[in-house]
Amino acid sequence: MKKWIFYVSAFLLFFIPAVLLIVKSFTPVWRWGEPFTFDWTLRGWETFLLDSRIFEAMMISLFIALVVTFMNLFAGIPAGKALSHSEFKGKSALEVLVVLPLFLPAMAAAVGLHITMIRLGLANSWLGVAIVHLVPTIPYTIKVMKSGYDRLNPDMLQQGKMLGAGSWHVFRTIELPMLMPSIRSAVFLTVTISMSQYVLTAIIGGGNVITLPIIYYPFLQSVDDTVMAAFSVAFAILPVLAVLFVELAATILAGRFSMSKRGAL
Amino acid sequence: MKWYQTNKPAVLLIPALLFLLMIVYSLVMAFAESIRSPEGWTWQYYADLFRQSQLIESLGYSLLITVVSVFFSVLIGWGVVRWFSSFIDEPAGKWLVWIPMLFPHFVWGYFILLLLGQSGLVSSFLYQAGWLSSREAFPVFTQDPYGIGIIITYLWKEIPFVILMLLPAYLQLPKQYGEVISVLGGGRKEWFKTVEWPWVQPVIVEITLILTAFIFTAYEVPALLGISYPQMTAVLAYEWFYGAAWEERSYAFGLLCIIAFILGAIALLSFTLMNRRRWLLSKSSHQY
Repeated sequence: MKKWIFYVSAFLLFFIPAVLLIVKSFTPVWRWGEPFTFDWTLRGWETFLLDSRIFEAMMISLFIALVVTFMNLFAGIPAGKALSHSEFKGKSALEVLVVLPLFLPAMAAAVGLHITMIRLGLANSWLGVAIVHLVPTIPYTIKVMKSGYDRLNPDMLQQGKMLGAGSWHVFRTIELPMLMPSIRSAVFLTVTISMSQYVLTAIIGGGNVITLPIIYYPFLQSVDDTVMAAFSVAFAILPVLAVLFVELAATILAGRFSMSKRGAL
Repeated sequence: MKWYQTNKPAVLLIPALLFLLMIVYSLVMAFAESIRSPEGWTWQYYADLFRQSQLIESLGYSLLITVVSVFFSVLIGWGVVRWFSSFIDEPAGKWLVWIPMLFPHFVWGYFILLLLGQSGLVSSFLYQAGWLSSREAFPVFTQDPYGIGIIITYLWKEIPFVILMLLPAYLQLPKQYGEVISVLGGGRKEWFKTVEWPWVQPVIVEITLILTAFIFTAYEVPALLGISYPQMTAVLAYEWFYGAAWEERSYAFGLLCIIAFILGAIALLSFTLMNRRRWLLSKSSHQY
């Protein structure tokens, strides 16, 4: 009974809206008061994908999100390991400090960085935007990676070392495969958060870095909900693409690709 | 090599420390901008800030929307996890709850507009079904003076967030204490007081703080679903930031600094008041 209640309400509240948006992106504009028509159309997606401005914005958003993701992993994986597997003075204070940015307005950081970015020539550039997207993402990645390392027994790594593997080899063949669930969560979170930034991108990008949200926002005034729905669904597809990309990169890095071909796995 | 071995945590933490440095630097810069005027350093902007009736209204409005959204998100999300944690942990359950997390806030805001607007799908459907006489008979839920649309958007988006943050804590609840309590003759009340609440309290405090900071200072949803007066604080700050007048820019910096200071102080205070070792960081597994 309880199970039934949960699945029905989660289905209604979370799954149906997503399906509704997908259906809407393939149906003509529904006029108010007229019966809903289901003459399937590709017009929404055509308009969305054939508009070169939108296509470029999609590529730039994905590119920025991936850069942000790799910077996140670069900072988050070692930090997670240090916070989980070692003891040092001031560790708990540091744990508090790394999550503190989540409790502060990201906009304050963005306006504070703005002038510096102009001086460094990073304002109005994709790199500047990627850097400001670190503000709301890195704390989550560090948290996720720390709990990933909490579940990874340090003895496993010790064993690899005893068998003569170097740190990098241990990382590639033991840590990376075992951390994949955490890395996946971190990538998902980072990409969706990066894709959600309108105001940070607008402040630092100054209207020159046209990401998907920057186009989406003015588009909201349009009444064409077929195109808007296609646009909306695209926001959920891109994180999936990014995760697949990271998954592939990790597989290659861990050397699993060649191994599975040889039938070793 | 020896130096590297003994200082290993320090080396591993370098990128994270650089990030923290950037945050501190950005806040210092924002503060510097808020006290800089063409005639030198001044506190004048802070003094003027609170004479703006627009700001007072905006703060009250933002606070109300934030408190209502956070309170119900946490309460409902917590209830859902307490009741259903074992089903949410199943892959299908987790994926269902993940769905709203995939969409940016403004996309979900658009969805609310599409669904609950006066010319939205629900209104249209009710009219066709003959339950509604006209478009105007449908209540104003979006772009309304009370921020109902904003609150609905936040509830719909944040409840899944609360569920996913709290789930690991509930899955790791030390169930064996339950037996101890029942052997000693305790009931559900004792279980809650001595095991459950102390265990999940840090997580709940953390979620509450994250959501409060986020909702109070987010621009996207109120810009989309709000009206022109009163505005939520972030919308006002954004307008001031791009304002033509020099003071307005300084007001934006000042306002954001005050909010950052208050929120940061509340966060630090809660960290200190709570036993640090019990803080979520060491407990949640964040397995989505």
